[in-house]
Amino acid sequence: MTDYNFIGKRIPRVDGLAKATGKATYTVDVKLPGMLYGKILRSPYPHARLLKIDTTAAQQLPGVRAVITGEDVRQVRYAFVDTPRYPADEQPLAVDKVRYIGDEVAAVAAESEAIAEKALSLIKVEYEILPPVFHPEEAMQEGAPVIHDEQFEGTSFWEEWGVTEQKKAVKQNSAVNNLSGHTLISFGDIEQAFRESDYCREDRFELKATAHCQMEPHAAVASYDPLAGKLHVWLSTMGIFLKRYFLSRALNMPASKIRVHHTFVGGAFGGKIDLFPYEFCAAYLSMKTGRPVKIELDREEVFMTTRQRHPIIVKIKTGVKKDGTILAQDIKVIADNGGYRGSGPVVIFLCHGFSFPVYNVPNYRYEGFSIYTNNGIRGPQRGHGAPQIRFAIDSQLDLIARDLGLDLLEIMRKNVRKKGDVLPNGDQLNSCGLTECLLGAAEAINWQKKRKQFRTMENAGRYRRGVGISLCSMFSGAMYYPFASAAVVKLHDDGSATLFTGAQDIGQGSYTTLSQILAEELGIGIEDVHVVAGDTELCPIDLGSFLSCTALVTGNAVKKAAADAKRQLLESAAELLGVEDLTRLKAQQKTIFLEDNPEKTLSFSQAIQASVLKRNGNPIIGHGSYKGYPRAERYPSLAKGKGLFTGAYGFAAQAAEVEVDTFTGKVKLLKVVTFHDCGYPLNKTIVEGQIHGCTSMGAGQALSEEVYLEKGQLFNPSFLSYRLPISLDTPESIEGIVATIEPSGPFGAKEVGEGCVAGILGAIANAVHDAVGVRIYSLPITPEKVLRALGRI
Amino acid sequence: MKKKIRLIVNGEEKVLTIDVQQTLLEVLREDLGLTGTKKGCNQGECGACTVLLEGKPVSSCSLLAVKADGKAVTTIEGLAKGGQLHPIQQAFNEKGAIQCGFCSPGMILVTKSLLEQNPNPTTAEIKEAIAGNICRCTGYVQIIEAIRSLVP
Ligand code: FES
Ligand code: FES
Repeated sequence: MTDYNFIGKRIPRVDGLAKATGKATYTVDVKLPGMLYGKILRSPYPHARLLKIDTTAAQQLPGVRAVITGEDVRQVRYAFVDTPRYPADEQPLAVDKVRYIGDEVAAVAAESEAIAEKALSLIKVEYEILPPVFHPEEAMQEGAPVIHDEQFEGTSFWEEWGVTEQKKAVKQNSAVNNLSGHTLISFGDIEQAFRESDYCREDRFELKATAHCQMEPHAAVASYDPLAGKLHVWLSTMGIFLKRYFLSRALNMPASKIRVHHTFVGGAFGGKIDLFPYEFCAAYLSMKTGRPVKIELDREEVFMTTRQRHPIIVKIKTGVKKDGTILAQDIKVIADNGGYRGSGPVVIFLCHGFSFPVYNVPNYRYEGFSIYTNNGIRGPQRGHGAPQIRFAIDSQLDLIARDLGLDLLEIMRKNVRKKGDVLPNGDQLNSCGLTECLLGAAEAINWQKKRKQFRTMENAGRYRRGVGISLCSMFSGAMYYPFASAAVVKLHDDGSATLFTGAQDIGQGSYTTLSQILAEELGIGIEDVHVVAGDTELCPIDLGSFLSCTALVTGNAVKKAAADAKRQLLESAAELLGVEDLTRLKAQQKTIFLEDNPEKTLSFSQAIQASVLKRNGNPIIGHGSYKGYPRAERYPSLAKGKGLFTGAYGFAAQAAEVEVDTFTGKVKLLKVVTFHDCGYPLNKTIVEGQIHGCTSMGAGQALSEEVYLEKGQLFNPSFLSYRLPISLDTPESIEGIVATIEPSGPFGAKEVGEGCVAGILGAIANAVHDAVGVRIYSLPITPEKVLRALGRI
Repeated sequence: MKKKIRLIVNGEEKVLTIDVQQTLLEVLREDLGLTGTKKGCNQGECGACTVLLEGKPVSSCSLLAVKADGKAVTTIEGLAKGGQLHPIQQAFNEKGAIQCGFCSPGMILVTKSLLEQNPNPTTAEIKEAIAGNICRCTGYVQIIEAIRSLVP
């Protein structure tokens, strides 16, 4: 393992210098000649019917170039989820109703932002206010206001990919009001297993909506070229091909007539994958005015109108044997997806998919509901369901351990899945370091010494400390549009190479890790790799930087493309060197040599020249591709959880030590530990960086972060009032990398950077319980909740 | 209302006619094309727009450009000299302190001012110095390490 030249090394980021010097161009930095500025008028009401919009005065304002409303785009529908079962329910501008505060009503393009802003104030809208509903459990009741009553028609996104046969089978479960998605999965016999259990426990947990807080606000620049009929867009996004597909459907244009250009992305965390109305409007306004149009959201709009993490209610009943072996689990999840479906049906599926690989639960029933309310829209956010469900399950397991007088660590150890296990859906765990992660994290947090559970409260002073632990898992890619990633490696005369990849570096370091894979496989230096990425015109398809697929899926595509280039290079070299057997040849540092006679060498340049001049003119271009999950034909069923999910699961164990101030209720995070099974670390600095980012976000969401909504109104749409972690909150951090070598991964690599946002929530909640002996069932764990639980207020 | 102002930006004198309502951030980004200075919130809460005014860090989104009239402004573009990176830029890149990079210009400038005033900061002082600069990607760990690596 250790004889790699680049893999596993702490190679500095290849895009680091551009970013350190301010030269990296983000979407917000794009400025085109003649560019107009767009602004969006939004609904001040959570639920209302649109009666009339008068844009006359706005149209007449000098400097205004276009004003559009729902009338202009009546037919347009799109959505993150667009299947025969769940047809697209979003429109770029409201047509009949508005469904949350911030819903888009009209858009303006003008010569300056100030004029556009002024124009918005001149648009007159008449609304008929409708009764709203904000809590999902109320929205589910009979008689609750119905948020979506429109009829959907047309072909869904997935039908274009051959799922029309499912259409007949589709019927919405109408027993529940405002239902936007439903998942039901079961195996074994839970009733029987509960009867056989020595101990059962039922609990209810709740998590609030949280914000991504990408530092770069959402923005789009669109420029339509009417002569070529081509639309050029610059988007702050995580998946250029998915965005292009969404846009092509929404604008009813062939995908090839849209070009997404590369920009650096100032953070995404799941929140820049949906198609947003501002993106559609920028494109539409550019087509209408014939000028480039830029729309940049302000921070308040980002908080209110892009996406949030789903607030979720989890009810769990678990049955165990005396020794803590889990026999049965019955889980019910209710996710509030806000005024539109967002990723509702996906998150309720993933609460299952991202969690069931952790423990072996032989008898299991899982039911998820995603529900419309008049809150802001919820979509994917780092971990997408994993933080919520892992918090609930491991909080309850800690309670069970306490009830039975057992050590949580032992219970976890008894129940975790192992390498070689086959999951109920057929996914195989060909690498699984859960046990090693668990033991590593426990040791690093000093579990035996610090865990207070079994000691009397010797520390009864004002400040009390405790430790907790939790586990998590995550996919490494999945079958989602465009279902595969491909890569092209083009060699240059001087022996260096350009990598063409559709993957986008959103900060996770993919340009660097992919360069390492290329350099290692081909036998060149890191400085010899040039990256052309994130451009739909120049680059082959890619799944995008979500579902944690870049390392494994794109990584494999790059490795194959590099191997393909290398094979061609060696074939040319073999002819020159008079060698028949290619396996005798080795390539390193842009030089080819005979393994058994290292004196005999040839430079890459010579081999390339020979390939062009003496062979068939081939300048050597390597191709590679890899399916989202080679064993699966298509995506799994969200409703039934049937089908294969992912080729490899990343795992982590996370532990926390906290200090609780019993006077103020404030919880201080002293230390966090993450032991991550990422298969094999392509770049240790990057892996550790991903772990830090995850734990910081998870800790924020455990202790302070909450999108605070009252009657659909957002009360804290700014960084300070939202309270995400700042430097002063940084705890001591220990990370361990458990290298299990995933057989299907490039150089053994799999997921890192998403799963371990999830375990930290349960670890902190369990540590708080350990410190002060009370359980907090809802996140964030605010001082008020702690004091209440302690009976102090 | 328009006004003429003079700024010394990264050592170069710039005379500009600007609207008196423009922030320093707008002037840097829009009028001078120095887009290395970022707008994360425009509310004075994130530090992405940090520049050095007479060597001291300020949030340029919360400062009217007319207030900087006659003063020296250092932006991230002014740090690397003659193709040579500043040691802080080098350290940030080597230690993994840069992920998406959107907070990096501000972070690097704040670090410069910190180390000029206090070449030997403790970890607590480092955390204090960057407390006004939000980074969502790194959890601050590698940023703090990068700054510590510059302390002799
Ligand atoms: S943009 Fe100035 S502080 Fe955020
Ligand atoms: S590196 Fe992305 S916000 Fe700091």
